[in-house]
Amino acid sequence: MPGETDSDVGWLRSAMGRYEGPLLRYAGRILGDVERARDVVQETFLRLLKSDRRRSEDHLAEWLFTVCRNRALDVCRKERRMRPLSEFAEQSTPSGEESPPAVAEQHEAVGQVARAMRALPANQQEVLRLKFQNGFSYKQIAGITGLSVSNVGFLIHTGIQRLRKRFRATGLIAQPEGDAR
Amino acid sequence: MRTPPDEARLTAYALGELDDDARAAVDAHLASNPTARRAVDEIRQVAGVLTDELAAEAVPQLTGEQRALIEAAASAPGRSKRRRRRPRALWTLWLVRSGVAAAILIVIGVGVISTLRSVLQPSADVGVSKTFDYMAWNQASRTGTGAGPSFAGTPRPEGMQDDMGRATTSQPDPDEGWNREGYDRIVENPFRKVIDHPLSTFSIDVDTASYSIVRRWLTKNRRWPPPGAVRIEELINYFDYEYAGPAEGGEHPFAAHVHMARCPWRSDHRLVRVAIKGREIADASRPSSNFVFLLDVSGSMGRPDKLPLVKAAMRMLVDVLGENDRVAIAVYAGASGLVLDSTTCDRKREVLAALDSLHAGGSTNGGEGIVLAYRKAEEQFLSGGVNRVILCTDGDFNVGTTSRSELVRLIETKAKGGVFLTILGFGRGNLQDATMEELSGRGNGNYAYIDTMAEARKVLLEQMNATLVTIAKDVKIQVEFNPARVEAYRLIGYENRILAAEDFNDDTKDAGEIGAGHTVTALYEVVPAGRSAGTPKASPLRYQNRRELSDAAHGSEVLTVKLRYKKPDGDESVLMTHRLLEGGAAFAAAPADFRFAAAVASFGMILRDSKHKGTYTLDAVMEQADSARGPDRHGYRAEFVELVRTAKLLASQR
Repeated sequence: MPGETDSDVGWLRSAMGRYEGPLLRYAGRILGDVERARDVVQETFLRLLKSDRRRSEDHLAEWLFTVCRNRALDVCRKERRMRPLSEFAEQSTPSGEESPPAVAEQHEAVGQVARAMRALPANQQEVLRLKFQNGFSYKQIAGITGLSVSNVGFLIHTGIQRLRKRFRATGLIAQPEGDAR
Repeated sequence: MRTPPDEARLTAYALGELDDDARAAVDAHLASNPTARRAVDEIRQVAGVLTDELAAEAVPQLTGEQRALIEAAASAPGRSKRRRRRPRALWTLWLVRSGVAAAILIVIGVGVISTLRSVLQPSADVGVSKTFDYMAWNQASRTGTGAGPSFAGTPRPEGMQDDMGRATTSQPDPDEGWNREGYDRIVENPFRKVIDHPLSTFSIDVDTASYSIVRRWLTKNRRWPPPGAVRIEELINYFDYEYAGPAEGGEHPFAAHVHMARCPWRSDHRLVRVAIKGREIADASRPSSNFVFLLDVSGSMGRPDKLPLVKAAMRMLVDVLGENDRVAIAVYAGASGLVLDSTTCDRKREVLAALDSLHAGGSTNGGEGIVLAYRKAEEQFLSGGVNRVILCTDGDFNVGTTSRSELVRLIETKAKGGVFLTILGFGRGNLQDATMEELSGRGNGNYAYIDTMAEARKVLLEQMNATLVTIAKDVKIQVEFNPARVEAYRLIGYENRILAAEDFNDDTKDAGEIGAGHTVTALYEVVPAGRSAGTPKASPLRYQNRRELSDAAHGSEVLTVKLRYKKPDGDESVLMTHRLLEGGAAFAAAPADFRFAAAVASFGMILRDSKHKGTYTLDAVMEQADSARGPDRHGYRAEFVELVRTAKLLASQR
């Protein structure tokens, strides 16, 4: 890789290059739409600028996800306070920019897995995503979510067991023949 | 006997989350317990499926405005403005439309709450969510326009410049591994005015991965590929062309040809082709080989289109190796290790048995694996032979301690020592296309994407020597255009291979390799002198006068192509020169190979929705490619025609 500049701009750019998409996906899951996710992620990067770089640099991914998560949850809390649930159903202005994610289900396996994931409780979905979409370890996930490591392990285990049953039933994973050694 | 590990511990074990002691305890338990072994295997399969499918989700982006704002704040800290928030729940729209609103709505509401609750009160499962009506959800997903409350749309052809296609401009570090398909954004080469930029310099590129990736998107995913995945030079170079090779016993290891005809998608432009053909090497006279297979056996490799295909492909290669060839096998997952020390192929059975014994499990540490593989290759270094690490992987190197830049440095250093690199990409979902292309480029290597046995056969058998035997390295091309003949030019593809003009004569600058029998093709779209190229003029210089034309410029030469290359074990480059004289034939009169390559280029431009795609339609591409099929011994060109048809069908369905 060509040497990354040590300036704040260079540092920020490389952090954005790496984490912008993953953070948006993550925040989008918590918040339910991309627009507010963008606001949260924007603010996460702005906070990164204000943070002590030496402290955030070592655990940049964890730092960003933690801040992003807290911000997203803040927004959820606020919006819940400000807007009664019923209002969600009334809102019907198309966003104009994003198309409804219709094509997501076009691909059979994608649809199947996505549906199976959505059938899981939100906290299981979240840790599974942190683990398998973002490659975090149990310990890092614990750091990000504030759960204990064993709790993270339990959530992931429970989620996987459910998916395993589903995938087995739909043939998405192969039944091992005899001894799986 | 120890007490059996609880189930959650088994999951942690399968995912590589246990420390050494705990792992040893589970290992001991597994040794005597086939049920638990099956469980571990299935957990890893689930993990593989999840990794793949989650990686395929679209990657949204900040708006340009937001990004600019953040960058502005970075250069002037403390001055951060909040962007106007537009509270909007996209998924509510979907819910309303899909008519399953109420029940699910509540569940989603609860979903958010449960996320919140999990912070305060961790629990494995939130009871309320169990009321989720899977059937209703399932049906809802199939009807109407909605797919779910996520924003995770997938890329569509009309969104050529949208989120997915420009997924990243910089790549994830291996230790932070995002599992998703990473394609670098490609900014197409613009038209350049000859008067301002008389020289065009680039490194050759013999990779072909992009074609297989595009094919997979169109035929398996049934979608148009993200524009970043379409590298036009790789589409063109996927095909074999019948260019004449160098003279027997000649001075150069390859021959170069330059040809010009009318440009099919813009009839007032010309198309110039630079065609290179490497010397063929008969299988019998192939130098002895020292191969190290470095195989990714992480959990996600368990699917049928990955490790089983890797094993079959490697078996196929081992089958044709001679008894003086050597193979070592190294793997990487949670830990890297040597499965088979370097073994000569007179003991082929041992090699094949070692391949058979591999199974997927654990997470990836590609960095260490590469170090190990290069060490093995160096231990058995064959001077005058083929020394190569063959890396087979589905994606990124995610757990390692080595960062991508360190990895690149390592590979560059090793390549200088004579060990070359071939990267074979497998599977879909978390293919780190950009990383693999960069690594192979830096490692004096090549990169192919293998999605089927047929592709494995093409890369490893039919083109074995081209893939594995390098006949010239650091091959650079520099074209000088004659301003009296050419107004402007545009190099089609090769965007990430552009070199500075002065790099051409700089032997320390790395460039691409040519394998035995390889053909390499580069196309320029050329605007003849006197026609406007529509490119903005550079402002006039105050201290210099415009260059004066030399005598040669007044002749009929259109351009001069200069090539530099080094022998595989050499450090000094050799120069070759070719001139192209005026005489742009009608396109229809051009050789079939020329017309076919033009059709492929046009297809790539249409897929990328390039602003240079001109008047050509998919129908025209299909017709042109079909008429230029030639002998097509392996049916690749016929397959291309089908691929264009598929692209057209998918476009009409949207």
